[in-house]
Amino acid sequence: MTITLQTLLKKDWFGLLIVVILSGILITLFKPAFLSSFNLYVLMVSTSYMLIIALAQMIIISIGQMNLSVGAIGGLVAISFSGVMEVYHLSVPLAIFIGLAIGVICGFLNGFITVKSGISAFIITLATLYIFKGINLGITEAEPFYEIPSAVKNFGNAKIGGTPIPYLIIIPIIITVLMWVLMNRTETGRHMLAYGNSVQSAELLGISSSKVVITAHVISGTLAAVAGMLVVCRLQLGTPNIGDSWLLPSFAAPVIGGAILAGGKVDVIATSLGVLIVAIISQALVIFKIDPFFVQIFLGLMILLAVFINRYREYKQEASRKVFTHD
Amino acid sequence: MTKKLPNFMFTNQFGLFCIVIIFVIIFSSITDGFTSRFNIYALSRVVAIDIMIGLAMMVVILTGGLNLALGAIGVCAAMFGGWCMETMGIPVIPSIFLILGMGSFLGYINGVITVKTGVHSFIVTLATMSIYFGLMTMLTEAEAFRRLPASFTDFGSIKLFNKYVSPLLIISVTACLTLFYLFKFTDIGRKLIAAGANPDAAELSGISVNTMFIYCHMLSGFLGAVAAIMLTTRIGAAIPSMAGQLGMDWLLPAFLAPVIGGTLLSGGKLSVFGTMLGAILVTLITNGLYLIDVGEFWIRFFLGIILLIAVILDKTREHFTLKSVIVS
Repeated sequence: MTITLQTLLKKDWFGLLIVVILSGILITLFKPAFLSSFNLYVLMVSTSYMLIIALAQMIIISIGQMNLSVGAIGGLVAISFSGVMEVYHLSVPLAIFIGLAIGVICGFLNGFITVKSGISAFIITLATLYIFKGINLGITEAEPFYEIPSAVKNFGNAKIGGTPIPYLIIIPIIITVLMWVLMNRTETGRHMLAYGNSVQSAELLGISSSKVVITAHVISGTLAAVAGMLVVCRLQLGTPNIGDSWLLPSFAAPVIGGAILAGGKVDVIATSLGVLIVAIISQALVIFKIDPFFVQIFLGLMILLAVFINRYREYKQEASRKVFTHD
Repeated sequence: MTKKLPNFMFTNQFGLFCIVIIFVIIFSSITDGFTSRFNIYALSRVVAIDIMIGLAMMVVILTGGLNLALGAIGVCAAMFGGWCMETMGIPVIPSIFLILGMGSFLGYINGVITVKTGVHSFIVTLATMSIYFGLMTMLTEAEAFRRLPASFTDFGSIKLFNKYVSPLLIISVTACLTLFYLFKFTDIGRKLIAAGANPDAAELSGISVNTMFIYCHMLSGFLGAVAAIMLTTRIGAAIPSMAGQLGMDWLLPAFLAPVIGGTLLSGGKLSVFGTMLGAILVTLITNGLYLIDVGEFWIRFFLGIILLIAVILDKTREHFTLKSVIVS
């Protein structure tokens, strides 16, 4: 396939890339400090874990469901990760392993109960949200864990060489690449999209519902776990309220990236750009010293705007409506 | 089966009623003070608001949608009411009408955007939730209204029926009866259900589905505002954090009550009295857990488990219950 402007224009991510570049240029024109090395560092740090949170939600959106418990899993993993290091003095790798295992178990429970009960994932994950958050508060009694090993703290603060690039962003980038491969180049990813597009057709083709749903939820849980641990590295402590505010941003990026909530259509690159747009604009609001509450309003408005744009594009493409994202 | 059992014994509500009775017996035998006058009065104040929140969510679930912005609408309405009464000095009765109007208006916005974009109301109300809440926080600068007229705040502390029941519960029960009448016996109520059950068929039979969906969202906003007024009279002030961050604290009672009560999440079937019993059950269990002293931090955990058990039981119960009952 030759790359022409025409084919580029049809991509979900192309328009977003333009928005990223234009907003970057615009903000820099008014406030050159936007491109300062400190600001770029802050921008990359906030992008790093938001990227994983968005992907954790995106994979569930791809199968036509939603996962309200992403933040609760992240919070539970965050306090377990920091808790085992502080209370039981476990080594960092072992603590990471425990954190990931909790993410896998939580995700598995979500997927297993959803598939076996046949109840919508919305209700199941609403229930598990309270269960995971309840365990979190029950263990911590709302007290944070402060004693984080210096290796973890350093990882959260360090920059690569003399550049403003934080170490924190390495893992999210690797995960994004892996997720792109998963969704676009593997059978599992295709099965998820097929399942999200039409459960019945997928089953008639011999795709196992339980396998698809459980796999997607396990991946989502694992990603939420990674995000939770990255936030611990960043904050240098494990507080029980990590994850409380993830719900809105986790949906914002995939929706801005053109994901259809009914399932069957997601785009990893567009979702990543969605994260970047949200991060740039939140950052700009800080630079221009705008009321922090406005960030919230803005995020809501961005989602609505994205919804309207997607609707308009759908209307334009009604005739040649594409099902999968071809890359 | 030789003898035919009466129909009502196979309804969801009857089963739920039995569960409520069982819990009352358990809690009153193992805890002290569950049946004390103070506790029953406190329960009636809490349950009244939970019923209202449940009903507000129920009318949107009827369309097959959700209203995540319910808590945000409630807080906005309450804060608007506080502003009307405290800052503007508007008398109580006109203020109440203004609050209800505010709730309906915010619901109307949700409805219009949902209908116009054709996007699932989950994402629309997720966005409006943060917009409403953000605007409210900016406009009020997160300051509470604490000097409300005494006639307004005193209402929440009146005690009726030998000091056992709060008048708030009477409002909730009246709302249940009104909604039951609306959905069971009126033309518009039946149209709302038809639109939720099968939008295409409803459209073909001459019902404007879009208008009906907007009505449902408005009704949700209206009931949310009623719940907010009740909560404001109970705490005696309009506080921005009265429903938690972004109003999310309302979500669990909002979904628990209708789902336990047998309202279908896919839309088109609802149970007003089921929602009421669902709210009563949740309040009873929460209260009982406090009295047993499981520790306040574990309450959320148990509520989550209860929601899970309730929906799974509900799924299995489907085989036994009457399918023909659309409104109950």
